[in-house]
Amino acid sequence: MLEAARDADASVATAAVGSTGHVGLEPLVTATLDGETAFFSECSPGRARSVTEALDGGTLPSEDAVAVVEHEPGAATLPVPDEGPLAVGERGVLGSCGWAVPGSIEDYRAGAGSLPTDLELADALSRLRESGLRGRGRGDASADAPVADEWTTASEAAGDPVVVVNANEADDRAAGDDLLLEGAPLSVLDPALTAAEALGASDVVAYLSEDADLARERVRAAADALVEARDPEASLRVVVGPDEYKAGEPTMALEAIEGNHRLEARRRPPGPSEYGLNGRPTLVHTPRTLAQVGRVLAGVDPGGVPADPGTRLFTVAGDVAAPATVELSTGATLSDALPAVEPEGSRKAACVGGVFGGVTRSLDVPASAPGLESARLGTNGAVELVGESTCMVALAGERAKFAREENCGRCGPCREGSKQLVDLLRDVYDGEFADGMLRELGRTMRETSLCGFGSDAARPVTTTIDVFETEFHAHADGRCPSGTCTKL
Amino acid sequence: MSTDPIWEDTTTGADVPLTEDIAPGTANDPPAGSTEAATLTVDGQTVEASVGSTLLDACEAVETDGDVLALCSYDDEEQIGPRSECRTCMVETEEHGVVPSCSFPVEDDMTVSTDTESASEARDVNLDLILSNHNLLCTTCGANGRCDLQDVAIENDVEEPRYGVLHDRSQLEPIDDSSPFIQIDRNKCILCNRCVEACNDVQVEGVLRMEESGGETRIGFQNDADTMMDSTCVSCGHCATVCPTGALVEQGLVDATTLPVPGFTHKNSAEGIVGEDYERQRTQMTPMKREGDTRNEPRVSRPEPAATAEDDWL
Ligand code: SF4
Ligand code: SF4
Ligand code: SF4
Ligand code: FES
Repeated sequence: MLEAARDADASVATAAVGSTGHVGLEPLVTATLDGETAFFSECSPGRARSVTEALDGGTLPSEDAVAVVEHEPGAATLPVPDEGPLAVGERGVLGSCGWAVPGSIEDYRAGAGSLPTDLELADALSRLRESGLRGRGRGDASADAPVADEWTTASEAAGDPVVVVNANEADDRAAGDDLLLEGAPLSVLDPALTAAEALGASDVVAYLSEDADLARERVRAAADALVEARDPEASLRVVVGPDEYKAGEPTMALEAIEGNHRLEARRRPPGPSEYGLNGRPTLVHTPRTLAQVGRVLAGVDPGGVPADPGTRLFTVAGDVAAPATVELSTGATLSDALPAVEPEGSRKAACVGGVFGGVTRSLDVPASAPGLESARLGTNGAVELVGESTCMVALAGERAKFAREENCGRCGPCREGSKQLVDLLRDVYDGEFADGMLRELGRTMRETSLCGFGSDAARPVTTTIDVFETEFHAHADGRCPSGTCTKL
Repeated sequence: MSTDPIWEDTTTGADVPLTEDIAPGTANDPPAGSTEAATLTVDGQTVEASVGSTLLDACEAVETDGDVLALCSYDDEEQIGPRSECRTCMVETEEHGVVPSCSFPVEDDMTVSTDTESASEARDVNLDLILSNHNLLCTTCGANGRCDLQDVAIENDVEEPRYGVLHDRSQLEPIDDSSPFIQIDRNKCILCNRCVEACNDVQVEGVLRMEESGGETRIGFQNDADTMMDSTCVSCGHCATVCPTGALVEQGLVDATTLPVPGFTHKNSAEGIVGEDYERQRTQMTPMKREGDTRNEPRVSRPEPAATAEDDWL
């Protein structure tokens, strides 16, 4: 696309930026002239060329644009149309995604969230503490817990601290971290470097999945630019791990970075903030957390509800024409994200929280960690819409099977529990629905597993039983209400 | 001096692997135990716990209301455990909810209860989960009468494990009878990791490792051997000494405590046997020990020197 635009041989500046989060609009081309921007979705190379030519000729083409927005000339963040998918939610941490050049220090510093470079630990801590910010995503060692606590522990622990940016997320239902790294890597790396400096840590490690090629390329470039601009002595390494779900678990991430040949979760307490990478006190944050940290440290009012300030990224996927990642205030509800996507068929449920998310009929659930938790949904930022044609019992079974196959094998409740979970679900197909046993097993896995994988693994099953109990009984009676289980 | 070739010195060089070459396949766990001494309450009784204590230490200091089974924990402090994998030692704390006592550090003023509903349920279910993957044929097992799993099952009044036990012969792994010193029956293994730690951390032999994941998780050999005979084992026997079940048994003891049920032996308890073709081992050192080495190939990249995708993945 960029080639096509450049081929137009015009004196128009072109740049490849990151995604806006709205996959359905892509390829998306924006054309800007004098404080006015036109959006062209699903743009063909030919169209890109003609847009460039028009700009070269001094006019902003608006014919067949999905939106045209007026804004301040030289705006640092994506101008947002009043309606359409791009108008959904807010664009705080996503502000420069789809707008700024990903590795450009100038673009980044022009944005609102650029950080002071000489923040003292005490200052950083008090800002984080005051804000009450919590970690985001399942790969964060302080997921849903106050970030300030983790920093305090790491700063008090003995040893040379280190900061790990955990961006290894194999569940593409949760695309927020990759979106940030591809579109605004500096808004993640800069706070990571600030954290390292505040803690007196000598290095930062960005840990990605081996398959995240674009993110890695952009992180690498951004890291080089940042190190040069901020501190040539700083060490910012990029390390990749397997593209496996478990590899994103915070302690397995550390094992992978250390080069262990078999991934296994670490026993805790103490957690990574005391004993992390090579035994050093380690902050393990996801890109989404760091982007929020960046805004708080830059003095931006994070907004949202006091119990979980800031915004959260939600990727709406599943039975939709194309997934979309949107940013919601924690004061919003999940249903506020729905206009961003085009549902396929009518929706009967949603699974919130990724592969091991919770099942719900209603999306009128607060987009905050406490809100999601009390609805027994997951907080990793994935909202998967489930259409009428999906059998909920089969869905629960698939998730249990995934747990059985993908767990690290270390602890009994998860390794053996997921096996029994699958077997008990199979029994439903043979006419026996042992719901008491399923619940007991689900409880035990949740409360006694060694890591988050096992604690979450039974959630799709237990929440589906709660919401769709009649479907389980129907299966035990030899009938699949949605008509998809043919072996009954 | 015996003329048995087993005493011949056939070593030609350093056999002990360097610790950095040892790849036990297990996580680099943090140290367990508290960094400070603490006074806490266990089932209403006050306990003074010293530095380095876990909740299990505190529970063991008093008469607890509930039986804290602690199946996978190892008493000895000899660099073994706590692995904290079986989760049959769960207790309830006011401060942190239900936690594994074997590895949870004591904290000052903590309040611990061993017999709450959720702690007991957690222990019961987890013990049954371990049993569900176990070939519970105690009468033909080499560890009959000296087995920790048997002990805790009796202690916990297990009559019928809720998920059953592993008895489908086609699902059983063949017994590894290749070594004249140690027999391995993985159908009895609870994956407590003690043998791996004894072999790597105590003996520094680098023979055993954890391998695979999920339901396939098993103890294996660092040199990729399929059988004990092909491993780099020096037959020191430490692994068998620490094994809590009949998974690793000294050959001489395999039938020492089994009950003479006609037609039933330990060897025919599983579908197959590997390693029968080795008739006799000539030296104490297995053949692979002389040539082989341990293996520690990183699965993930080292820091990348350049920005190309291929270079990242070593
Ligand atoms: S919960 Fe599952 S993934 Fe986590 S340590 Fe236990 S077995 Fe491994
Ligand atoms: S007997 Fe062999 S496998 Fe067992 S601890 Fe000794 S060297 Fe290791
Ligand atoms: S063989 Fe024995 S010591 Fe080794 S993991 Fe299995 S049960 Fe534990
Ligand atoms: S004894 Fe604590 S987990 Fe096994």
